[in-house]
Amino acid sequence: MREFSEKHLNILDYALSSLWRRKGKNLSVFLVFTFVIFLLASFQFLTRSLLDAAQATLRQTPEITIQYMVAGRQESIPVSYAAKIKDVFGVRKVTARVWGYKFNEVTGSNITVMALAHFPRLDQEVLAEGRFGAKGEKGWAVIGQGVLDDLGLGSRRSFSFFRPDLTLKPFTVSGVFGPESNILTYDLVITGIDDGRDLFGMEATLATDLLVEVVNPLEIATVARKISKALPGTRVVTRPQILKTYEAVFSWRSGFAAICLLSALAAFIILAWDKASGMSPEERREISILKILGWQTPDVLMIRFWESFALALVAFGCGTILAYVHIGYFQALLFRSVMMGWSVLRPGLSFVPVVSFGDLFLLFSLAVLPYLAATVIPAWRCASVATDSALRG
Amino acid sequence: MLVELENIIKIYNQGQVNEVMALDRVNLTVAKGAMVCLKGPSGSGKSTLLSIIGCIYPPTSGRAVIAGTQLARLPDRFLTIHRRQTIGFIFQHFNILPKLSVLENIMLPLMPLGISPGKRRAMAEPLLERFGIDHRRNFPAGEISGGELQRVAIARALINAPPIIIADEPTAHLDSELSKEFLRSMRQLKGEGKTIIIASHDPLVTDDGGVDMIYAVRDGRVSQDVS
Repeated sequence: MREFSEKHLNILDYALSSLWRRKGKNLSVFLVFTFVIFLLASFQFLTRSLLDAAQATLRQTPEITIQYMVAGRQESIPVSYAAKIKDVFGVRKVTARVWGYKFNEVTGSNITVMALAHFPRLDQEVLAEGRFGAKGEKGWAVIGQGVLDDLGLGSRRSFSFFRPDLTLKPFTVSGVFGPESNILTYDLVITGIDDGRDLFGMEATLATDLLVEVVNPLEIATVARKISKALPGTRVVTRPQILKTYEAVFSWRSGFAAICLLSALAAFIILAWDKASGMSPEERREISILKILGWQTPDVLMIRFWESFALALVAFGCGTILAYVHIGYFQALLFRSVMMGWSVLRPGLSFVPVVSFGDLFLLFSLAVLPYLAATVIPAWRCASVATDSALRG
Repeated sequence: MLVELENIIKIYNQGQVNEVMALDRVNLTVAKGAMVCLKGPSGSGKSTLLSIIGCIYPPTSGRAVIAGTQLARLPDRFLTIHRRQTIGFIFQHFNILPKLSVLENIMLPLMPLGISPGKRRAMAEPLLERFGIDHRRNFPAGEISGGELQRVAIARALINAPPIIIADEPTAHLDSELSKEFLRSMRQLKGEGKTIIIASHDPLVTDDGGVDMIYAVRDGRVSQDVS
């Protein structure tokens, strides 16, 4: 056993020094491989970061949303529907919500304004500073990081939006959302429901939609079905459905990008295969000398395996670390447009990189294992160099 | 006898259009402690004969017994093991890996044996001193002189303490002084009980007083040279 481990340590030692001896050639492979892994890992981490941010924030969103539909379009819902919904077994609470968009002509961006009667799930933890308005308080607003920049508020804490009749509706900033919830709150203004109706010129008997809390979160789908039956003209959207939509959107974008990047990886692997299967006269001579000096074919293969494994492992480590820095520090500079779209506000979104063992394993399987196969399998041919070729000069 | 070859036939690419008979019914014996020279022109079959004596591959037919082991029955893996226990090689161009240090080159045959670095160095030390290359131990082999290179090659051939040393055209690229130095070393090794088999057509080798027997190789056939 000791002899076996000593032998493999010796071969590993030889492989590492061989890598160093051919540092010029190996450096180019290392740089390309690191770059490919960096691209793949960036997309993987970015997708995970977006999904995690979406999931974390959506956990605080309503369990069921009821929208009123007319001719396939969403219209304001009568607040009186809340009473009918409360009668459905399993419903704990119904809250009216008013929301809409305000276009900022200066920056050319859209700001989402959302007004609620109560804030059952949005607690103070999502705020970087300040508080939500108290019940009955007027003119307050909690805004996202993007709105703060977009409106150019700086240290000012008051702003106004135009009502439909072009009069100004003033607001005072009572709080600002933290960057962790950026994915949903970046372009968001939250205010009281009366201020919302005032801003959008909506009657007090109407709301944009109704939010439903259920007694048992495991029964969301069942309660939603019951509400759908009770109110035939409505669209009932559940929180898991919204989560699935986010996952589908980001996974689709990530998948599309991954296909492009996997093509790059495949090209690299083919190049590696081609390089590994072709041998320079110097390499052929070295293998022949080793074999005539008593190295077996598996020993020579082990050299190639350790060389490839060490190079791939270091490239994998460097590529993933660079990807982490790219997402966390440089805010996914290269890919944010692909993943987020090209809207005016979204580019300001702040990413918190999320790395899971599963993602690392997936990347390792996608990049390192094919590279090992592409370099070790053709090495069999190299290792089978006729032993006597060193004798033939 | 340390080397016994009886009716050895070696055919390359057997059954194919490019079939070549490299050795044709070769008979040869070498006693323990003898120094034998194989001479013949290029393409005569010398290298093939050395490959069989050196346990690189078995013959197509015939009986080859090297250091008591019948080669024909050995699978490739065991042939390699038998080779590294029995044979030390010195090549025409010495075949030293130029980017490895002198010490690393000498220790190369020990690496797949599972010998620790410390023990490997301990085994190489006496050889470095014996051949006067101790001061060059950490030099890349590509940066030392031809004479030193030759001594590294001999030291590497001896590191496993093999009973047989095979040298293929060892003086082909050496000047006469270095050739004489090489032959001195071979005579010394012979004196220590090693069996030396040299393939060469250099008169310095064939005329050397230490050579006990000369075999002429021509067109794949071997005869004792009596000239």
